[in-house]
Amino acid sequence: MAPLEKADLLQGTLDLLILKVVALGPVHGYGISQRIRQISDAVLLVQQGSLYPALHRLEKRGWLAADWGESENGRQAKFYRLSAAGRKQLATEQETWNRLSKAVVQILETAH
Amino acid sequence: MEGLRRLFHRLVPRSVSDDAMDREIGHHIAELAQSYIAQGLTPDEAHRRAMLEFGGCEQVKQTIREVHVSALAESIAFNAQAASRFLRKSPTFSIAVILTLALAIGANSAVFSAIDAVILRPLPYPSGDQLAVLYQHDAKGRDANHFVAPVRLEDWNRMNSTFQAISGYYLDDLSETSGSLPERVTEALVAPRFLQVMEVSPALGRPFTREEEHWAGPDAVLISDGFWERRFHRDPSALGKRLKVGTFSYSIVGIMPPSFQFPNRDVDLWAPSAPDAPYALRREATWFTVIGRLKPGVTLQAGTADLATVQSQLGKQFPKPDADLIVQTEPLKETIVGGVRSSLLLVYGSVSLLLLIACSNIAALLLARTAEREHEISIRYSLGASRMSIVTQLLSEVFALALLGSLTGLLVAAGASHAFHLLAKTLPRAEEITLNWRVAVYSLTAAVATTILCGLFPALRGTRRGLAQGLASGSRTQASTRNPLQWALVMVQVTLAVTLLIGAGLLLRSLQAIARVYPGFDPTHVLTFQVSGSWGETSDMKGVVQRIDRTLDGLRALPGVTDVATSGTLPGVSSLYQTEFKIDGNVQPGHPILADNRFVSVGYFGAMQIPLLVGETCRQTPSTNDVMVNRAFADRYMSGASAVGHQLSAAAYNDFQTQGMIRGIVGDAREEGLNILPVPTVYSCFNAPNPFPNYLVRTQGDPMAMAETIRRRIHELEPSRSVYGISSLQEHLDDASTENRLRTTLLSLFAATAVALACIGLYGTLSYMGRLRQREVGVRLALGALRSQIVARFLFQGIRAAVIGCLAGLALGLGLSRFLTGMLYGVTALDPTTYASVICLILLVAALASLVPSVRAASVEPVKVLRED
Repeated sequence: MAPLEKADLLQGTLDLLILKVVALGPVHGYGISQRIRQISDAVLLVQQGSLYPALHRLEKRGWLAADWGESENGRQAKFYRLSAAGRKQLATEQETWNRLSKAVVQILETAH
Repeated sequence: MEGLRRLFHRLVPRSVSDDAMDREIGHHIAELAQSYIAQGLTPDEAHRRAMLEFGGCEQVKQTIREVHVSALAESIAFNAQAASRFLRKSPTFSIAVILTLALAIGANSAVFSAIDAVILRPLPYPSGDQLAVLYQHDAKGRDANHFVAPVRLEDWNRMNSTFQAISGYYLDDLSETSGSLPERVTEALVAPRFLQVMEVSPALGRPFTREEEHWAGPDAVLISDGFWERRFHRDPSALGKRLKVGTFSYSIVGIMPPSFQFPNRDVDLWAPSAPDAPYALRREATWFTVIGRLKPGVTLQAGTADLATVQSQLGKQFPKPDADLIVQTEPLKETIVGGVRSSLLLVYGSVSLLLLIACSNIAALLLARTAEREHEISIRYSLGASRMSIVTQLLSEVFALALLGSLTGLLVAAGASHAFHLLAKTLPRAEEITLNWRVAVYSLTAAVATTILCGLFPALRGTRRGLAQGLASGSRTQASTRNPLQWALVMVQVTLAVTLLIGAGLLLRSLQAIARVYPGFDPTHVLTFQVSGSWGETSDMKGVVQRIDRTLDGLRALPGVTDVATSGTLPGVSSLYQTEFKIDGNVQPGHPILADNRFVSVGYFGAMQIPLLVGETCRQTPSTNDVMVNRAFADRYMSGASAVGHQLSAAAYNDFQTQGMIRGIVGDAREEGLNILPVPTVYSCFNAPNPFPNYLVRTQGDPMAMAETIRRRIHELEPSRSVYGISSLQEHLDDASTENRLRTTLLSLFAATAVALACIGLYGTLSYMGRLRQREVGVRLALGALRSQIVARFLFQGIRAAVIGCLAGLALGLGLSRFLTGMLYGVTALDPTTYASVICLILLVAALASLVPSVRAASVEPVKVLRED
């Protein structure tokens, strides 16, 4: 499948994806973009131009916390992890997303 | 601590550093490049591809920056909105808090503006901290004369290596007679290099030339901005005009800028005093107050050591009198403001205690308020707000209050800075006190500090999660009825109020004690004034003596005048001039005969009503030199009545030699000030200690009513001289104690406010407790408790807080009272009466303040409150 364009991502979806990926364990920016790409089978390509501002915004809101550490290749990297508030936020957003997507699917399947 | 740090970062967000962003982005690019290398690209090519794929680094960084800025802006806007909603929702509460803070921060800022202008800011001369006053001092302490001989000043200036220049001045009060009426002017006669030392130049015209500073050089005078305004209406053509001052005539060469008022704000003229004048050549002829400007980077200590070396060289060169002299120095600023520092700091300390009381008062109010908002807070929690954001919101509300309070307080400070100007007579540099940005910044800082002091505790406490969640179900609470923190705040208020009250009490009792003292002379019905004269006249001392005698005779003949006299210094106004004497030419080694040396005319004892105890009153004739001594002198040095007939002479050699026979012994008088015990005193009976002595006229009626008559008579006698400084002696005595009365008044005012605030705090806390415990009281009453028991329980709580506060206040007061030593008279810093009355007063008002809310708390209707549930 061809990668989706950035504009096709729903507002707020990127946040949800980031929270979800970070929930798996502390990870740096590069790692997040790689994971999203791998897990979505390269359908979703996150532009660095939106990834980093989003990371800072989530950190600012207190959903992500960040520490400097050493990456698997021995480089200094900023590792993001989920805060307690972020975990709650992830649950809320996931719930919202599920309801939304379910509703959308329902409409698409029944409204023939 | 972690919480505080996070809170701080929430209020003042970390600006994201470029370095951190670079490192983060750099890491991404490095990882990307690595993956390309793994795919087989050369490192260079891999790096280029990675950069390309990442896109514009700068653009990404800019977007990140915007994230941070907009988060801050959003947070500010949100909290500001919440705060303004809060203010509008409870206007009475808000206004009460704002007014309390306005008064507390305003008073604090006002006193700060005075401290800033008087103590903290450098003198208004360029590099004012380089200026120092230099004195010559008799190493053996035989002579209190600190003035410096012109020749010695020139030696110091020539021989030192640490001062840029040394100059000096003395003042003459003269008449200027070029106008239609003689006008009194104050002239500063200045040594060479005066303007160079002060580093000022005339606003118009030019400074003195070298020639003008020498004897018999061209005459020249600089005039003050005030004199220029008064006499010439700021007409620039004043330059070159001639002034007739005393017996001299000068032409005006320059006009000084308005800011230059040295040595004091009354100076009208500056004229050179030539060090090479024939009368100035003797090393005993001393008259200059000496000012030196240190070289940049040289400490006063180094300068003093340097001058000490210079003076010891002079001591070898001129053993008499220089061998006995040492050099003393003091920063000029210290000379000007040193005297009021302790008073100002005392007032500042008290007003800061007051601010603390106001803060704890408001903290208690907020504590009660946040407790009442538990419901609102728990709702915000359940909506997903973090504790940090709620605390931030609560603090923003307090900050809004504090900010409004401090802005209103600036109005108070502005009013106070005008009031300070009225104190110019007592407070040095008072005219420099203004409301400026430093005061505004201080006030703003006070608002921030107040926010943290008042708001942090209540906010942290009110947002404890467990409490708030437990309360989400209903608004009734059992948890907060105990409120130890609330009571702790009341105790703090009582403690500080007691401390202030002790200070005020001690000062008040000192003032009372001073008022009860009989000074040994009668200051009522005495008019004082001076008649202009010039030091130049002293070359004909006989003429000066005759002139003053003529004036005294002329005044004595006036109806309504009972006695007249002259005196070098005013009685009851501090001017100690300690001199060592020899009796019949003998000095007793190890037992110096030190006495205050005062020059008075023979009528002085009659005019001041100082009783003659032994012998007769002195006479002054061209051939006699009589002195009188007081009882303290006779008792201490001559064992009583045998003093009469002995010869007294000054031990040190200087121009104003006192020498004469003791004619009689007079009663002790508090010549040095009403609060200073009489010291051994020698009165030299000489009517002309200087060309413009103080006249003392005892009148039958109100002395000020005679002022015009006396002024006219002197104009008849001495048409070319002016009369100045007319006021009653009583007024001079009052002026001398202004600083004392002022600080006492201020401290009493602060203490009264503090007590009022503490009472309000106590009252408020008890009322609040009463409301919280309505249900409990209802149950108790329903179960048969007596209302009097309930009242007693509440009263007990209030009084217990007051008692604990009193004890803590006593301890604090005891500790702080040592700051008052030196300001007290007739009471010790540990005066039991004061402490006891303070305790009684506080307990009484605390009981009164507790009574009303206690009674109200007990007056609930059980049926009503129980049904409400």
